[in-house]
Amino acid sequence: MNANAEEQELKDRLSLIETMIAEGRRGTESWGWVFLLWGVAYYVAILWSSTSFPGPIWGREFLAWPVTMTITFVLTLVIGTRKQGRGAATTIGRAIAAMWMAMGISMFTLLLSLGLSGRGEQQVFIAVIASMLGTTNAASSIILKWKMQFACAVVWWGAAVASLFANVPQSTMVFVVAIFFCQIVFGIYGMIAEARERKRSSAHA
Amino acid sequence: MPELPDLNPVIHGKLRLALLSLLTGVEEAEFTWLRAKTGSTDGNLGAQLLKLEEAGYVAVEKKFVQRKPQTLYRMTEAGRQALTEYVQVLKELLGPAINS
Repeated sequence: MNANAEEQELKDRLSLIETMIAEGRRGTESWGWVFLLWGVAYYVAILWSSTSFPGPIWGREFLAWPVTMTITFVLTLVIGTRKQGRGAATTIGRAIAAMWMAMGISMFTLLLSLGLSGRGEQQVFIAVIASMLGTTNAASSIILKWKMQFACAVVWWGAAVASLFANVPQSTMVFVVAIFFCQIVFGIYGMIAEARERKRSSAHA
Repeated sequence: MPELPDLNPVIHGKLRLALLSLLTGVEEAEFTWLRAKTGSTDGNLGAQLLKLEEAGYVAVEKKFVQRKPQTLYRMTEAGRQALTEYVQVLKELLGPAINS
């Protein structure tokens, strides 16, 4: 092998290392579906709690939030576990999952206590949910350097403030709009972005 | 220009080098993920991972997730050290040519 060929081979090795390190760090987790699922769950809970449906379970509006949130939490765990076995675990992925899990437990505990103690006015209830979602979205967006998610955080913070200055129907409307943009639209956008990334990754491999 | 044998032969293989480089960016990775990223066959990938495991550069963990077997690989400290040294040697060998 001549000197030029050897040199080229060494350069190729260096280039291979750089490409593979970048490839390994590229996110493979899919989270868009979680935003969409929870967005739909919030809508179900709002609809259930604000409408008088007939029936032994649907007729009990006070069950709307605890039941919907518990079912959605279980669904997230089941689907998440099934999806987990498809790749690589990264430190960033674990950090983000930890944040959302901690936020979910805090929110569940606090809202359940607010509901059971009778101290949960709807405006406060919505402000708590929106501010917690704003905090977690902001932290996640900073880690991921994702401006779109930070925009969602700003919308949630805005919704939290607006809810406290609004009456009950207005705060419901604020919440519904924030869910639409930050859960439904952002979830679908995330799923499309992830699908594109997967397609690009498989083409690269 | 210096000869190639100065480089660690366990890492120098293209697929093994790709595998170690991939594993630096993750905590652990499934066999199927490594296969997809490298585009290699099951047999070749398994053989190269075994060589890395025997050298102490990767650790393997086998478990069942929902009754399905799952093989996870992660880079060991020795593997990280070996790759770092390999890159240093590469840079030394290339010298000023690295930027050309």
